[in-house]
Amino acid sequence: MSGFTMLAPPKSGRWFRLRVALGLLAGCLLLSAALNAAEPVDVLVQGAEQPEVDDLVAALQKPLKLAIGPFSFWVGTIGPHRVAVSLTGQGLINCTAATLVGIEEFSPKLIVNQGTSGAQAPFLGLHDIIVGRRAVDYGNFVSAPRAAGQGSAPLAWTPVAQRLRDPATGRLVEFPDGFAGDPAALAVALRTRNPMARVFAGIIGSAHEVNLELDRVAWSHRVFGMDVEEMESGHVAALAHAYGVRYIAFRVVSDAPYEGVPFYPLAARATGLFTINFLENLPAL
Amino acid sequence: MRMARFALVLVLLVTAVRAERADVLLAGATDAELKPLLERLTGAHVEKQAAWTFWLGTLAGRKVVLTRTEGDPLNAVAATTLAIRRYGPRLIVTFGSARAHDPSLRAGDVVVSEKFVAFDGMESPFRPEGGGSDALAWTTLPHLLMTPGEKEVPAVTFPADAGALAVARSLRATSGRVVVGVLGSANQVNREADRIARLRAQWGTSCEDGESAHIAGCAQLLGVPVVGWRVIDGAEGDAAALVLPFLEAWK
Repeated sequence: MSGFTMLAPPKSGRWFRLRVALGLLAGCLLLSAALNAAEPVDVLVQGAEQPEVDDLVAALQKPLKLAIGPFSFWVGTIGPHRVAVSLTGQGLINCTAATLVGIEEFSPKLIVNQGTSGAQAPFLGLHDIIVGRRAVDYGNFVSAPRAAGQGSAPLAWTPVAQRLRDPATGRLVEFPDGFAGDPAALAVALRTRNPMARVFAGIIGSAHEVNLELDRVAWSHRVFGMDVEEMESGHVAALAHAYGVRYIAFRVVSDAPYEGVPFYPLAARATGLFTINFLENLPAL
Repeated sequence: MRMARFALVLVLLVTAVRAERADVLLAGATDAELKPLLERLTGAHVEKQAAWTFWLGTLAGRKVVLTRTEGDPLNAVAATTLAIRRYGPRLIVTFGSARAHDPSLRAGDVVVSEKFVAFDGMESPFRPEGGGSDALAWTTLPHLLMTPGEKEVPAVTFPADAGALAVARSLRATSGRVVVGVLGSANQVNREADRIARLRAQWGTSCEDGESAHIAGCAQLLGVPVVGWRVIDGAEGDAAALVLPFLEAWK
């Protein structure tokens, strides 16, 4: 005796044709959904790691998950905004690809890139949040020639600015100071509560680097004005600029070499909760 | 698991079902690198998206798309991602010039990609104030690549497509040898001999350029085969000269 025969009648007759027709219809609907991708959103909120998006995903109303290539997006509403939460993965390669997919599929009016960072300024402590007045790529340089045996002098390297081609003029434009955060979003963020510590406007530096030499940390602070270092904001800022999309970055201090604080991944919760507060404060776009 | 409560919709990464397709994406850093190929491109037309440009047409009987990477990782990964989504290439070719890390390489030698490494990832051990900075003590920080299901996997090196590599290594250089090696990239110009030796010891790099390994990382991330070659201290156009013979031989 088996329930299987009841669930799977012989493959003939009207029942089978009906199932084929229903299957084809479902297939067409799915294909149509796949081709037309997603509805536009107001805000694309990015995090590089799962702890950076968990609280945001949990806060979404009427959520839907979309998998696009290697990337996952969760779409719903927070406050008055339709939001896509994007898990980008760490570093330039992941975040660049994820941002382009996010911009092209969801046409956001504002991108919020948020997550953890290492303090580059001595006044910052664990759970403090920097709201990006600017985000800059600081990992690029040219070194002067030195012969074998003459060592390496990283504090003497010459920084190289990120460049973007201006479609209007066709010229490559250098951005040595990085890219400014959206002034209206910055103002709202500075009136938003961080449930775990303080909030400052500041400068966020991005590179695939973890710098724990305090003299190089001081050099980054002096040369680029950096308050925190991480791996995505400056790259996403460049892409947002290229597409003319408003942009803001929030970075919580998760490690502070001046204070001897090692990386604390749960600090990610502070930016997640801060970003939810920000979205609830942010007027409709 | 909490995520399971969401309805899941799979969306195609490649949008080329609605657009023109190309067999091969050819990625060069500058107008000068691309010029010899653009002059040979037949049935050509140009498409643009934000800061990036795509030249479509036929080369050596194949439908190709050319893009300009600007010679840095961000622009290269952006242009590669857009090209994959728009044109669905079966192969990506990154070509150009490079500076040697392997002291046995000579100007004019062509390094073809056994594999690629993005060597810009570093972590420095703690040093107190006044303790200086010592790049020769830094350790490596490999890139991670996102995979479906929200899993990031470490990727120290990015592989080249075996079939395309076999074709590339059979090419003839204009002046130098063709050798198989590791193409390294970072948005860096390293001219300190000790640091170059350190990078080679840590990452196994044959040479350095501004974007090849980041293109390869993007190719692996989005599941497209890739191959590359670099002419050591090459003039612009030297590497492009190998593209037509490659396309003629590649199946």
